[in-house]
Amino acid sequence: MESGLEQKYNFDVVRWFTIMAAVYLVVGASVGVYIASELAWPFLNFDSPYISFGRLRPVHTNAVIFAFGGCTLMATAFYTVQRTCGVRLWSDKLAWFVFWGWNTVILLAVITLPLGLTESKEYAELEWPIDILIAVVWLSFTFNFIMTIAVRKTSHIYVSNWFFLGMMVMIVYLHVVNSLAIPVGLFKSYSLFSGVQDAMIQWWWGHNAVGFYLTAGFLGIMYYFVPKQAGRPIYSYRLSVIHFWALMFGYVWLGAHHLQYTALPDWTGSLGAAVSIAMIIPSWGGAVNGMMTLSGAWDRLRTDYVLRFLIMALAFYAMSTFEGPVMALKTVNALSHYTDWTIGHVHSGALGWVAGISIGAIYHLMPRLFHTEMFSERLVNFHFWTATIGTVVYIVAMWVSGIMQGLMWRAYDEYGTLAYTFVESVDAMHPYYAMRAIGGAIFLTGAIVMLFNVLMTVRKSAVDGSLVRARTVPVPA
Amino acid sequence: MNSISEYFHTDWQAMTTNDWIGTILTVVIFLLMVVAYFQVFRPKNRERLEARKYIPFEEDNAFSGDKDGGK
Repeated sequence: MESGLEQKYNFDVVRWFTIMAAVYLVVGASVGVYIASELAWPFLNFDSPYISFGRLRPVHTNAVIFAFGGCTLMATAFYTVQRTCGVRLWSDKLAWFVFWGWNTVILLAVITLPLGLTESKEYAELEWPIDILIAVVWLSFTFNFIMTIAVRKTSHIYVSNWFFLGMMVMIVYLHVVNSLAIPVGLFKSYSLFSGVQDAMIQWWWGHNAVGFYLTAGFLGIMYYFVPKQAGRPIYSYRLSVIHFWALMFGYVWLGAHHLQYTALPDWTGSLGAAVSIAMIIPSWGGAVNGMMTLSGAWDRLRTDYVLRFLIMALAFYAMSTFEGPVMALKTVNALSHYTDWTIGHVHSGALGWVAGISIGAIYHLMPRLFHTEMFSERLVNFHFWTATIGTVVYIVAMWVSGIMQGLMWRAYDEYGTLAYTFVESVDAMHPYYAMRAIGGAIFLTGAIVMLFNVLMTVRKSAVDGSLVRARTVPVPA
Repeated sequence: MNSISEYFHTDWQAMTTNDWIGTILTVVIFLLMVVAYFQVFRPKNRERLEARKYIPFEEDNAFSGDKDGGK
């Protein structure tokens, strides 16, 4: 069977995207730990603008979101669409163009961002020539995916492909509109929008990057890889259909909750908060759907380390999709906004959900792509605990720090003057910033272990010739 | 005028084209969601929809000789 699949499908491009995802997780998390350490121990700036927090922070976000997340999405989307449609990718050449194009974007980001070349838009910092390249590569990815579905041999399009396709279509729309800018040079442009409209477009993009890229895309991963790893079909297909449409129709409204108490009309923030609360229902429906897939087979979690990653990721998905809407409410937002609580929330989603489901998918893929067992199951287990403990240490530090910040900033004395200076609040954060750096370092340790395990599995496959055998052994027609 | 009717009061004359596009889209999406819920949870459609959850396993079963898709 393995040889049949190997020769039927294009797994080469999936293999490369998978390996690069493991590489970029280490790169992105390393930069993250370094900038977290800079906040705790500022001498680490070494008075160099190139490695200052302001320039390295977008390197970190771009590396983890677009390099690690993007490569994971492209690997899993190309794998899933072939396996569920029963056909090879529509175009191998286009798939390789996507691989090299996407990696070129990442390389350009790593060069330009430390040099200070930025549009200053959060999660969309790259300058206009790179934005155009992103659009071309993403459209190629989308077109190849759609055409593969168009020539499928199955009658129905499996739900994971709906989520991938929803992500692809929405990201084209969001990226193009948010990146509209007037170039004034090769490395400088100004946004087409200004003032509060610019802020609204920025967060319409920003929160939908979370909703469609970091949620819908990774739910596509969940709906294929959780059932496959568990060896059982998804708990309810009907629930997955509702999950999809509610997510697609609901998520686009949420961006305004990032702009509570600003120049944006008050009703816009209220609408964002109201729809955020409503989104708990489909989000939890999806999380329960994934978890209940294990109904009657919970004992598998004792022995299946990959399944542990996938199910723990769903637990974090449920938690952060409850926390986010609560933070969107104006009364909670008045305390939480601009504080480290937001950073904690983002990382419970990013480390717990996105990285967790991605890592589970990578460990699921490795033996199937290289036709050999993982180099070390014990290292997978070690990675699970470092990833989980690192994430928990990180988010607990940021929760405490954030709530403390919010309370200190709003504290008044009996004369109506601020009880604390801003510097005092910064000083109070130091232990939590150190704790955050330690949590990140624990998570990074696991990422390095995974990269080692992945590379050793590739080597193992080369030594025992399993991949070559799968490619060449005659398959009965 | 009580506070609820005041809260929901709308100056229809002041609605711009953008306001109308947004309003109509919102109502249409709401109605589409109602249709989606109705269709998905209609008992008649249960078997047809749930049969699709076996798609990821069909290929494995085909290779292993289990031609009924493992259902």
